[in-house]
Amino acid sequence: MPRSIWNGTVAFGLVRVPVKLYSATESKRIPLRERHAEDGAAIEHRRLCSKEGREVPYSEIVKGYEVSEDSYVVLTKEEVAAAEGPEAHVVEIEHFVDREQIDPAYYERSYYVGPGKLGEESYRLLHAALERSARAGIGRFVFHNKAHLVAIRAVEDVIVLHTMRFADELASGEDLEPAKPEKRPSKLELDTAQLLLAQLDAKFEPESYANTYRDAVMAMIEKKAKGEAIEAPENLQATPEGDLLGALEASLAQSGASRGKGAAKKRSRSTTPVGKPPKRPAPGATKRSAGAKRATAATAPKRKPTRGED
Amino acid sequence: MARALWTGSLSFGLVTVPVALYSAVRDRDIHFNLLHGPDNSPIETRRVCAHEQKEVPYSEIVKGYELDDGRWVLLSDSDLEAAAPRKSHTIDIEAFVEEREIDPLYMDRPYLLVPENEVAARAYALLSEAMASSGKVALGRFVMRAKENLVSIRPREGLLALTTMRFHDEVRPSAEIAQGLASVEAPSEEEVENAMAIIAELEVPFEPEGYRDEHRAHLEAIIKRKRKGQKISMPKPKPEEPAEPPPAAPDLMGALEESLARIRGEAASKTAGASKGKTKGKTVAKPKRKLPAPKAPAKRASGSARRP
Repeated sequence: MPRSIWNGTVAFGLVRVPVKLYSATESKRIPLRERHAEDGAAIEHRRLCSKEGREVPYSEIVKGYEVSEDSYVVLTKEEVAAAEGPEAHVVEIEHFVDREQIDPAYYERSYYVGPGKLGEESYRLLHAALERSARAGIGRFVFHNKAHLVAIRAVEDVIVLHTMRFADELASGEDLEPAKPEKRPSKLELDTAQLLLAQLDAKFEPESYANTYRDAVMAMIEKKAKGEAIEAPENLQATPEGDLLGALEASLAQSGASRGKGAAKKRSRSTTPVGKPPKRPAPGATKRSAGAKRATAATAPKRKPTRGED
Repeated sequence: MARALWTGSLSFGLVTVPVALYSAVRDRDIHFNLLHGPDNSPIETRRVCAHEQKEVPYSEIVKGYELDDGRWVLLSDSDLEAAAPRKSHTIDIEAFVEEREIDPLYMDRPYLLVPENEVAARAYALLSEAMASSGKVALGRFVMRAKENLVSIRPREGLLALTTMRFHDEVRPSAEIAQGLASVEAPSEEEVENAMAIIAELEVPFEPEGYRDEHRAHLEAIIKRKRKGQKISMPKPKPEEPAEPPPAAPDLMGALEESLARIRGEAASKTAGASKGKTKGKTVAKPKRKLPAPKAPAKRASGSARRP
């Protein structure tokens, strides 16, 4: 059994469900540390007093909020903790919402909620009600001296709790001043893009996306450990200019499958210059005969689980 | 303007769109500086080579991986890039899926994609319009900061929003957590219906703007008071509410019914208040709840119909 990281109660109405919280995710990053390039030695981070220039033990360090240049309000650990008051150990559910209304950008961290002591019955009840109503409970709880907005949902046999971002923490695109196209995409381009979308249509199967980069980095580490040279990366390819439609049609031809007559018709219309095909090595892109295309379509899996890493 | 975290290409089929990636999260946290307690002067962090005991400039720092035998393999940024040259510069769209097939458990961090120039803007507009009309989201992958990211991309307010996702093996199995539950008696139909009635009574549209970060507000208030030289005292722990200690064997049905009665009573008085307010115009006093008042009079009305 995994270790719980928090014990408390989920409260909705007068129903109190004793629960335990567990991490639902773990990072599988390759552990890399900072090292000195010249001798490979470890890098230490030292805290120095800027005035005295000497190293300072952690016990002498305090937290200060800068109110103006070089002027700080110092808060003790207790004062920072006072912002929340004592931990109540309750997740208070205030509202329920349709879970499809929540934009994914709001989800921050995910936890599994398991039943606590004597909580099994009420847990099953809450789970059943969340599952059947397809609603998410929105509430708050204090965790590590910080009040969080949370959503709880039923996922398969368990309840999941997500901490949520606040609306003012999400940036709007307006500040980014995105470039605007000179000419809007044409109807034909949109239709062709739709066909490409349809060809790449799939069901989300998380298992089919493996982290191949992790393996690639590990392979490189092994190679380097044996003293082999590391190949230099190739230069960033130039982006193909213009002829969007040509690229779309070449993509359609490349991924092969034609679904329905509309697709076939549209493609045959464009046997004339297929634009300048981008430089990217495209397996099958040189095959021009419709027969060959269809043959690849028949044998090729609907979705390539992994595009070959370079 | 914000700084781009990554620049590269978004690629679907043979169409390549030069894009820049920006964080969609604004840092609203209150940041503290580390100070040296006795003299309140700022703390500086120095990176020091443990071997030579001297400060090392950032340009001389590389990544290292420790082998089982204790030796280290040093990796420069270009070594890491060489492990996946294409993925380091290209977000390859591999599939289009239904948004609701992706469980939020997979969601990690939100970003925004912006076209790099006017030429790119056209292909960008094409992709976002095609996606908007199909209602699908794109799945792809790329490498940023020595980490491969599975990403989902969806049109949002004229832009493409990208969310990094966790790989399947980064989401823990939940089987063990639910293990003991099968042996517990399933809730009765009546209990589930009552619980669902509570959910229906408390249902509101999701309006994220209505939720305020109270932690941030409290911390700001404390800083303000301290600045004025006031003393900050720890609030006294609330005495445990003796009224409703959880009973050893909880009376679920009783709690459900009592909750419903209270919520409906509250809702009924609220509807009455709201309709009174409406005649006066827009100055409806919000109920004293902290959160956005449910503004679904239709729902409330049906609830009040149940009143005797």
